[in-house]
Amino acid sequence: MTERQGQDPQRIGPGYSFRARLTAGVVAGSVIPLAGFGLVLVGAEIARRGSLDTTVGGLLVFFLAAAIILAVLFAYFLAGNLTRPLRAIAQAVERVSGGDLSVRVEVAGEDELAQLVESHNRLASDLARRNAELGRILVAIGETSPRDGLERLITHATASARTAFSMIDASIHLGDPGNVVIEEVVPGESRPIRAVLALPDERLGVLVGHLPATRRWDAADQDLLELYASEVAVAIRNAELFEQVQEQTRQLVALDAAKDDFLRGISHNLQTPLTSIRAYAEQLDGERPDGRLSIITEQSERLSRMVRQLLAASRLEAGTLRPRLEVLAMAPRVRKAWEALGSTGVPFDLQDEATGWLAVADPDQLDQVLWAILDNAVKYGRGAPITARIRSDTVGGRLMLTIADGGPGVVDADRASVFERFERGTADDHPEGTGIGLYVSRELCRAMAGSLDLEPSVEASGAAFTIALPAEPPAASES
Amino acid sequence: MLSGGRWTEVGAPRILLVDDDPNLLVLLADQLRADGFDVQTARDGDEALRRLRSGWPDLLIVDMMMPRMDGLTLAREVKALADLPIIVLSAIDTADSKADLLDEVAEDYVTKPYHYPELRARIGRVLRRLGDKVPRRALVLGPDLVLELHRRTATVRGQPVQLTPTESRLLYALAANLGQTVTTETLLDRGWADTENADPSYVWVTMRRLRQKIEPDPNRPAHLVTIRGVGYRLVAGTAPEVPASSGGPATTDSPGSTESPGSTESPEGEGS
Repeated sequence: MTERQGQDPQRIGPGYSFRARLTAGVVAGSVIPLAGFGLVLVGAEIARRGSLDTTVGGLLVFFLAAAIILAVLFAYFLAGNLTRPLRAIAQAVERVSGGDLSVRVEVAGEDELAQLVESHNRLASDLARRNAELGRILVAIGETSPRDGLERLITHATASARTAFSMIDASIHLGDPGNVVIEEVVPGESRPIRAVLALPDERLGVLVGHLPATRRWDAADQDLLELYASEVAVAIRNAELFEQVQEQTRQLVALDAAKDDFLRGISHNLQTPLTSIRAYAEQLDGERPDGRLSIITEQSERLSRMVRQLLAASRLEAGTLRPRLEVLAMAPRVRKAWEALGSTGVPFDLQDEATGWLAVADPDQLDQVLWAILDNAVKYGRGAPITARIRSDTVGGRLMLTIADGGPGVVDADRASVFERFERGTADDHPEGTGIGLYVSRELCRAMAGSLDLEPSVEASGAAFTIALPAEPPAASES
Repeated sequence: MLSGGRWTEVGAPRILLVDDDPNLLVLLADQLRADGFDVQTARDGDEALRRLRSGWPDLLIVDMMMPRMDGLTLAREVKALADLPIIVLSAIDTADSKADLLDEVAEDYVTKPYHYPELRARIGRVLRRLGDKVPRRALVLGPDLVLELHRRTATVRGQPVQLTPTESRLLYALAANLGQTVTTETLLDRGWADTENADPSYVWVTMRRLRQKIEPDPNRPAHLVTIRGVGYRLVAGTAPEVPASSGGPATTDSPGSTESPGSTESPEGEGS
């Protein structure tokens, strides 16, 4: 009920209860004529005899009292009988408004009360039916997933509409709704219903079906059907978009796999002859040592490392680098990488200040980094001694390897771009190299949770690069 | 260390070498023979399978990229027949998308162009585990730990954990001697090739990292037990469904696993 005066509902009668009013009415209706008749009798008796016989007066009072009591009792029970169905209806309405739609009131007869009860029952059952329909629609909508694909979605949506609205048949037609003829409603025959699958910007199709002839179809039902149709339209749009995205993803994956196969093939075709060249040169060198053979070995090695570097660069773009982190001692690894380079003419000094520490790195990828940085140092160091220094960062649990050459260093203009792809420095007088060594190395280090940085330039010293990698401190013997 | 004389008492290890590049095939076969191996060669997968019918080698070395049947397919077919150790030669590296597939079928792989001493060292490491047999299926070591070594994975409290090749090699050696102590020296031999200059600290650190991966409480290891002064021991925790008296692990079939003729030395308690 609203509290505001102006919107008070129409109030009928005084504030007494129905039962009290009915009782008062019956009592009044039966007692007033009796009392009037008594007064006439008394008046006539007094006019005839001049006085009132006490017996007649007593009888009169007695009947009056008896009539009042009888009338009260009678009216009370009658009122009770009349208000019982009203109270039942009130309770039922109360429960309906509380959400319980299962309550039905039964009243015998054809009177106004029975009509009231009937319309209440219909109200409740209509509410219950639409609630159930809404529930089934919501379930149907909840069950649709764009992953199901368009066909399954439409089959599912059609079946759901049929069950939810208890249709005889239902179908969804995609395309212009105008292409589907609007059927006329013929009384006594199954009733056609339809709702357009509408989106704010487009009409995707139409949902049509038939209801049993006996079934009521109100504006509220049509609203519900249209709500459902618009949800189906949204689901269809989602499924179409999802299919597009999936198709694109499929194409990308296929393209990626093709690229991977291509690179693998190239790599194989380049590495296979290099493997033979290198193996034969090594074998010959073993039989009859010759400096020229070791040049063949080193150069074929250089070539195959470059191929691997290019491969790594393409993998970096694809983001498919997955390092396998093993523990390894840094110093022998650096020494080996230096020896593989075969730059015997350049002095090399390795200082290990972190004895016992083990780096956590992917051995193959670390080798690539070491080779690139050392190769760089040889290339730009102009024959001056190269130093490598290994230190540990106890707090951070890291190993740091700094490789410094004795060359002119990196000019300030180039410092920012040395790690860019295809950069070779403006002061470059060595055009060889792929120009991706430092870029690949830095990315490889990052993939191993490490870093690669150019040290700040110091007057009269060459370029210095520091590789930092996660590391394990010297292990106490466990066994 | 794999000099010609070493194998004479037990017979030279037999290697089947499969590569489509004849230059490489001849050279590598010569090099391996010079090192005392009994080498047979095949030019492609079909020839390799025919040769396998007439006798099993101790090791298969196969090129990844071959016309008709590629190395991966051949390795899969061979593994479906028996648990024969396989080394794959390939021009791909660890970052290749096929590296994981290789992990499932190959004990090791060596990238081309290989350095012969490196390849020989890897062959040595793989052959050292010849006597070790671990069924190619899930090894249930307790309610919280299941190992699938041929997939290089452990399942710890239901969560899959990726193992590195070295970690799975160490676990393989320990699982082959379940409940028994494996010395640090043996683990060093199994985990690292001779060319890697590994020392015992590699074993200690790797075991420490492994515990952090697979032990519910790395500070109080329940499965990877240190035997002071000797080595390590892998023990099965007491799972509720495994009777404590059996002492062995329960094994469950993993999809695609095959009972291979080579892996008949199953741990006791299996088959119950």
